[in-house]
Amino acid sequence: MRKSVLFNALCAAMMVSAALGSAAVSAQTGAAPPKEIRILESGGPSGDSIEQAYIKPYTARTGIKVTRESPTSAGKLQAMVQSKNITSVLVELGATNVVAARALGLLEPLDWNAIDPAPIYPEARWPDAFGYQYSSTIMAWGKGSKQPKTWADFWNVKDFPGKRALPDYPGYTLPLALLADGVTPDKLYPLDIDRAFASLEKIKGSVAVWWKAGAQAPQLLEDKEVAYSAAWSGRIVGNPKIDYTYNQGLLQLAYFVVPKGADPAAKAAAMGLLHEMSKLENQLVATNVIPYTGASPGIEKLVPKDKVNDYPTTEANKKIQAQADPSWTADNAKLIEKRWQEFKLGL
Amino acid sequence: MNVASRRQAAPGFWLVAPLLAVMALGFNLPLVLMLGKSVVGESGFTLQHFVEIFQVPAYLKVLFNTFRIALITAVCCVLLGYPLAYWLRRLPSRWQLLALAAVVIPFWVSILVRTYAWIVVLGNAGMVNRSLLGFGWIDSPIAFLYNELGVVIGTINVLLPFLVLPLFAAMLKIDERLLRAAETLGASNWTAFWRIFFPLSLPALAAGAILVFILTLGFFITPAILGGGRVPMVANMLDLLVNHLPNWELASTISTVLLGVTLVLFVMYLRLTTRKEEA
Repeated sequence: MRKSVLFNALCAAMMVSAALGSAAVSAQTGAAPPKEIRILESGGPSGDSIEQAYIKPYTARTGIKVTRESPTSAGKLQAMVQSKNITSVLVELGATNVVAARALGLLEPLDWNAIDPAPIYPEARWPDAFGYQYSSTIMAWGKGSKQPKTWADFWNVKDFPGKRALPDYPGYTLPLALLADGVTPDKLYPLDIDRAFASLEKIKGSVAVWWKAGAQAPQLLEDKEVAYSAAWSGRIVGNPKIDYTYNQGLLQLAYFVVPKGADPAAKAAAMGLLHEMSKLENQLVATNVIPYTGASPGIEKLVPKDKVNDYPTTEANKKIQAQADPSWTADNAKLIEKRWQEFKLGL
Repeated sequence: MNVASRRQAAPGFWLVAPLLAVMALGFNLPLVLMLGKSVVGESGFTLQHFVEIFQVPAYLKVLFNTFRIALITAVCCVLLGYPLAYWLRRLPSRWQLLALAAVVIPFWVSILVRTYAWIVVLGNAGMVNRSLLGFGWIDSPIAFLYNELGVVIGTINVLLPFLVLPLFAAMLKIDERLLRAAETLGASNWTAFWRIFFPLSLPALAAGAILVFILTLGFFITPAILGGGRVPMVANMLDLLVNHLPNWELASTISTVLLGVTLVLFVMYLRLTTRKEEA
């Protein structure tokens, strides 16, 4: 609680300074808007959703062309900032990477006055990052397999036989292991690392694949390589061969950030694109391309009744999921990554 | 260097100079700068990153595992490639062309596509397992993929031509008359092969094996797709350290170690190939 008060104060302070800073910049330069801006994003259907939902209306409104590049990574952001060659004014990052990039001083504060957002969830509104896309790590299985309800069921190989697949990312898999061991979502963070690895040891023998790419989970389920898999919601929702539940899913948010040292005119133009991302009606278009949702509440009022439970941020689904804590994960990234490698190597 | 030889070297040198400049500025310089990060700490020069990789068992085990898989791959390529090259050499030339085309054509297919193709062939729902299940020879699918076996199969598939083609070329150069001479002296086919032919082809075989070994050390796509996250190799660890953590100092330290080992092997490779040409 204290932390969040402090955090909000920090946010407010940074916002004020950002607003002052950008006012000063535009007063000094009054630079003409660029003809084109470049953004770095995840690619795949997610990139298509950005094109359809946000870039189209943005280009129609401003005449500024937006070129997408993919895939994004924290390493590319670091390379851009350190080489002082900012090729993309907006970079997509997961929440944990945003916190890590902030600690390394790689981020430019956003100009929230210029973004002038429509109503969005508070966690999407960081001083230096705009939350644009919710996804969830949920359990999924091939249609016809016995339905698990909790991660404890997923971990229970006796009653739910078959191989498993889990993400090859400790930031995702450790919280799932704790949920499986009976930790409640509100007491998840700070993660009890030893307990999480003890829980993972119990299922390790049944894990056929530790997956890296989101597309692997549905493919492994369809090919019957595994019976149950943790998967990113957008990759499986709508797949006719796969069932899933949002219960005890791990909800997380992807952000757009501006690299430190970005050209002020390009940054000012990028704020307009973020404005488009804050509009619920645009988010609905994106949701139709890939079943992730944007940061505005109320998506359930716009989607067809039978699809209301497909999305991670409907009121009913948001209630039954756990929230990841990106600050804890970023602060402990090196430690848990080292333990993760040792765990997989059997050290 | 005397004047005459400098004149001889000069025209050739100026022709390649632009390429050399591009390589030095565009490739070697960034490489050296990147490797330089391995000895830079918060307060200047340091060897702490090297100490770290030799103290943390995970890094050592991944390096060791990479060398082990490279060795297995090289040995399997030798066992598969030598008979293949030998067979190619003895084919009538028209068939030789056809068989060589079969060896070379996979080169033109993207390594990514070839790697994914193994999922279609060897997966639980793949051709091989479905056939074996259909014949009733097995009760449950054999786990070809998402383990070391899958990675080794995928790697051999990509690298076999690197051994077969130079080995075949070297075998063609072996003088047939030497074998006939051995036979006139009373050697059986078997003896002539082992005492004449095999020793003559050995340098090319060893060079090819080292080449396969070196190339395997850097494999990324194959373990990423066919290893199921359970076959740790050094390139995948570098991806983690560069793109996700990011910890570039450690990544460049591991790269430096890997480069050192590779250079030693490359010197061995050069020794073998040049000795072959002298002979």
